[in-house]
Amino acid sequence: MKFVSHLDMNRFMTRLVNKAKIPIWFTEGFNQHAYFNFAVPLSLGFEGQYEILDLRIIDPAYSNEQLVADLNKESIPDIEFVKANEPVLKMKEIAFAEFKIIFEEVFAEKIERFFAREQIITQKTTKKGGTKDIDIAPLIKKAELSGNELTLILTAGNENNLNPTLVLSTLFELEQFKAEYSVVRTMIYDKKMQPFI
Amino acid sequence: MNEKEFERLLLSVQKPGRYSGGEINSVIKDKSKIDVRFAFCFPDTYEIGMSHLGMKILYSQFNAREDIWCERVFAPWLDFEEVMRKNNIPLFALESRDAIRDFDFIGFTLQYEMCYTNVLNMLDLAGVPLKSADRDESYPLVVAGGPCVCNAEPLADFIDIFFLGEGEEVDLEVIDLYKEHKKNGFNKAEFLKAAAKIEGVYVPSLYEIEYLPDGKIKSITTKDNAPKTVRKRIIADMDNCFYPENFVVPFIQIVHDRAVQEVFRGCIRGCRFCQAGFIYRPVREKSYEVVNHQAKCLCESTGYDEISLSSLSTSDYRELEPLLNNMLEWTEQNHISLALPSLRIDNFSEELLEKIAHVRKSGLTFAPEAGTQRLRDVINKNVTEEEILSTCKTAFEGGYTAVKLYFMMGLPTETDEDLKGIAELGQKIVDMYYSMPNKPKGKSVSVSMSVAVFVPKPFTPFQFEPQITKEEMERKQAYLKSCITTRKIDLSMHDSSTSFLEAVFAKGDRRLGAVLESAYKKGCKFDSWTECFDLQKWNEAFSECGIDPDFYSLRKRDYDEINPWDHLDYAVSKEFLIRENKLAHADTTTPNCREKCSACGANCYGKGVCFERR
Repeated sequence: MKFVSHLDMNRFMTRLVNKAKIPIWFTEGFNQHAYFNFAVPLSLGFEGQYEILDLRIIDPAYSNEQLVADLNKESIPDIEFVKANEPVLKMKEIAFAEFKIIFEEVFAEKIERFFAREQIITQKTTKKGGTKDIDIAPLIKKAELSGNELTLILTAGNENNLNPTLVLSTLFELEQFKAEYSVVRTMIYDKKMQPFI
Repeated sequence: MNEKEFERLLLSVQKPGRYSGGEINSVIKDKSKIDVRFAFCFPDTYEIGMSHLGMKILYSQFNAREDIWCERVFAPWLDFEEVMRKNNIPLFALESRDAIRDFDFIGFTLQYEMCYTNVLNMLDLAGVPLKSADRDESYPLVVAGGPCVCNAEPLADFIDIFFLGEGEEVDLEVIDLYKEHKKNGFNKAEFLKAAAKIEGVYVPSLYEIEYLPDGKIKSITTKDNAPKTVRKRIIADMDNCFYPENFVVPFIQIVHDRAVQEVFRGCIRGCRFCQAGFIYRPVREKSYEVVNHQAKCLCESTGYDEISLSSLSTSDYRELEPLLNNMLEWTEQNHISLALPSLRIDNFSEELLEKIAHVRKSGLTFAPEAGTQRLRDVINKNVTEEEILSTCKTAFEGGYTAVKLYFMMGLPTETDEDLKGIAELGQKIVDMYYSMPNKPKGKSVSVSMSVAVFVPKPFTPFQFEPQITKEEMERKQAYLKSCITTRKIDLSMHDSSTSFLEAVFAKGDRRLGAVLESAYKKGCKFDSWTECFDLQKWNEAFSECGIDPDFYSLRKRDYDEINPWDHLDYAVSKEFLIRENKLAHADTTTPNCREKCSACGANCYGKGVCFERR
């Protein structure tokens, strides 16, 4: 579901839990709504293979398997629920995300030269609307190219979240080329590089 | 075009969700098992079209049939249209992504006059010749329904078939006839002739219009035994008529992003400016049990957490109390908020307010339409100043601090006194708020007043009336502005160039087809969007075609003049409209349908309010 933004995804989930009659906890404020939280928003245009969603079930007898089955029954083919479990880690323990970037053509030399740099300075827009120079090299944990397929592991989470779009636009700028590509987020990791659960 | 390429193009435009399809409850069928493919086109953006209830009803109803696949098509926004034209992508349907050029039917719903250029643009994007006469059997049939069909003469050259009135029955009858004709070698002319015999079907090419030297219509004659007048179709039994069990639920946010439950059709009031109040007659209600059941099904199948009741005047629903009691039982339990638009001022009770207060609180909107009692009598808006004030008081006591009021400017017989009345009414509401001992503490009041320019419409008692000129409007706007002295009143008066064009096309004839085509070729589209509307281009189109727009909109029409829509029968007689027009000029109101029958003619269907026991 590449064309669904994070906000749209939230709306989709609200309706899905209603439609699937999930015994979900509702917020108790003025504007009551089903409470859930996507761990790391997925950008418009990306696919995701390991997305994490946090929600609270109020019926103790309602099993995790039932939850997954009920959600999948009402969902669309492109959004599939894989597994539900009690939270092991806290959301703030999310540290890295892995992306698979597929280029339309092979640009081995340029891409390898780019990721071999000690420093990769780029401009990032700040919350105040200005821009500041940052070095993204330390935020790139892994960059591995195999043919036209690039695997990236980038820092993720509340602090130092690095979006692959920024990495790629910097790549195109510094290496002076342009390529069509698609992005799939394949995994979310904790600090120890274990799949986040 | 391959999927990847298409996806990349989508990602280059705003809101790709408008074009991607794949929403919950959208209908996918096996093409090989389908006899008739119908492209249901809404000539505006996805967000607007997806909010339209009529489209949801017909989409579900057509798709309930195994032999029909009905798909949705919307006008692509400027950015995507550019991409489509550059990459030779023909207009496609969202479900299958197939070009609608290869469908059996291309059907438009005409909800407002300012969408006409979009109709032409969509035909062009589909790769279909604009004019009906230029489309042979190899092209889809182009059909149209919706309220504008009551005078869609400006589109007569472009559309093969118009459906008058409610489409649930007549559309399928035409599709069945089409299937039959397709079996025996399809001939378009023969098919149109046969279709014209179905009640509610108007084939404009079978009617010839002759004009007098002064430009008025001399006569409307028929060809090939087409009926002299075409009567609109209605659904007589609302409880047993089709209603969707689910809606397509969009990913992107649309204008009315909620479940919508229809309560009744028509309106008992007969406000003289309101076309909907006449063309949807007679009032036909659903029983509250049916409404409650359908509403519940909809919420369950869509997962929407908001539902709104839909009708022209929800507080006129006779079973509103039991309905709300029943609905609140399950809506509250499931955290679903219930919205009640279209409430009238005069029967907006405290209990009702309390019921709404149970769920989410939004703003309150009222439409007094005119500033003085005299003018409200002229337009038959049977609402008094006391009622307006007492409703606002009830609302303020209920914790509201903002009210919004709608008015019109340029109504027949309007004087400056009436305009001043708008300002005075606003002032009275503000004063009343501050005089209340139990007003919401520490909060200021806000009265928003929105004033639109009156557009006379066919099939209303004001169809004979002229619209005011641009100069007159500007003078009136300046005067009204000068009457407002408090900052608690927020007055908004939109630039009304579109209202003038709307009046021309609402009351126009088929000679305007040339103007439409010319304006479209100059680049006019999305005319209801201020960022797209270009009056200059329209003026050029009018002068190139040698047509004076004022002839249609600024001229008072005699009662005996033949109007371009006089061969269409919407079950309100011209005699009735003339009677009502005369009463308006005598400042006299007409009782509503439940108080007293005024013999408009809508009782010819044998159903509805005309036969309610009083």
